[in-house]
Amino acid sequence: MKTLVIIPAYNEALNIEKTVKDLKNNTKYDYVIINDCSKDNTKEVCEKNNFNVLSLPINYGLTSGIQLGMKYAYQNGYDIAVQFDGDGQHQAKYIKDLVKEIEEENCDIAIGSRFVSKKKPKSMRMLGSRLIAGAIRITTGKKIKDPTSGMRAYNKKAIELFVKNASLTPEPDTLVYMIKKQLKIKEIQVEMSDREFGESYLKPIKSMEYMINMFFSILFIRAITRKNI
Amino acid sequence: MTITLRIILIICSLISFLLCITRIKQAKLKVENSVTWMIGSILLIFMSIFSGAVEWISNKLGFMAPVNFVFLVIIGFLLIQTFIDNIRISTLNEKIKDLNHYIALKEYKSKKD
Repeated sequence: MKTLVIIPAYNEALNIEKTVKDLKNNTKYDYVIINDCSKDNTKEVCEKNNFNVLSLPINYGLTSGIQLGMKYAYQNGYDIAVQFDGDGQHQAKYIKDLVKEIEEENCDIAIGSRFVSKKKPKSMRMLGSRLIAGAIRITTGKKIKDPTSGMRAYNKKAIELFVKNASLTPEPDTLVYMIKKQLKIKEIQVEMSDREFGESYLKPIKSMEYMINMFFSILFIRAITRKNI
Repeated sequence: MTITLRIILIICSLISFLLCITRIKQAKLKVENSVTWMIGSILLIFMSIFSGAVEWISNKLGFMAPVNFVFLVIIGFLLIQTFIDNIRISTLNEKIKDLNHYIALKEYKSKKD
């Protein structure tokens, strides 16, 4: 099946080359980098290496980047879209495990999860992860062990939902929406490394805001998603 | 309601009404956006002219003083106005996002050809 790897990148000039190299060495899938108007020379690095890159003229955040990637996947007739961070945290060798699950029609969305067979460490970050997982459990009855994982593969049905509904984000609340729309979600064990350079999209001050947004979205908005429409 | 409050309300309403009209003439404000402001000022003028009616309503609703009722109406009006503005900002946001995507895809295509 035609597979596209979407790599959102904001100020990732130091990581992006390594990420794409890793992707090319370990997989044979197409990829597209979404350069979210980086302030550093991410754009130049991509152009110099002749990477497949879409450059946004205004910085609009991760959600907008993923939505653009989904639009690109939809317009070019891809069957599977994989969300993959450009900061070197994700490892390309696990992508084929996710894609395989979708190709074998075991699920509609495959999540690269850190905690399928491994235990969650007890830290502040993981407390947030647990709380979100709890909210998902309450609203859908489904157990998702690593809801905040940024490595996800979507099939055509999910891509279409993304293109049609502009309010969908690449965050856990969308998983609730997808479950309510009767899509099947499966988690696959992956390893993630720590960031090497640069800052993440989720800075410490912002994580509080993120948690509040997620809770309101999951409990009050996504929880009442109807099956059809 | 005291006579001073009534005079202040009338003056303020008139000023906001005039501001709306001049801004529309200068094309700085759209007619659709100014309608709520004009309705608000007319409402205030009516409340200050027919203060007897305001007193009667506020008594029936159990307010301590008619002026409280006037404030409540103004606050309610402002809340509606900010809510409308919020919706407008969100719509604009979506439109800018779509434009942003459109430009990126267009640039990509023209570079490929």
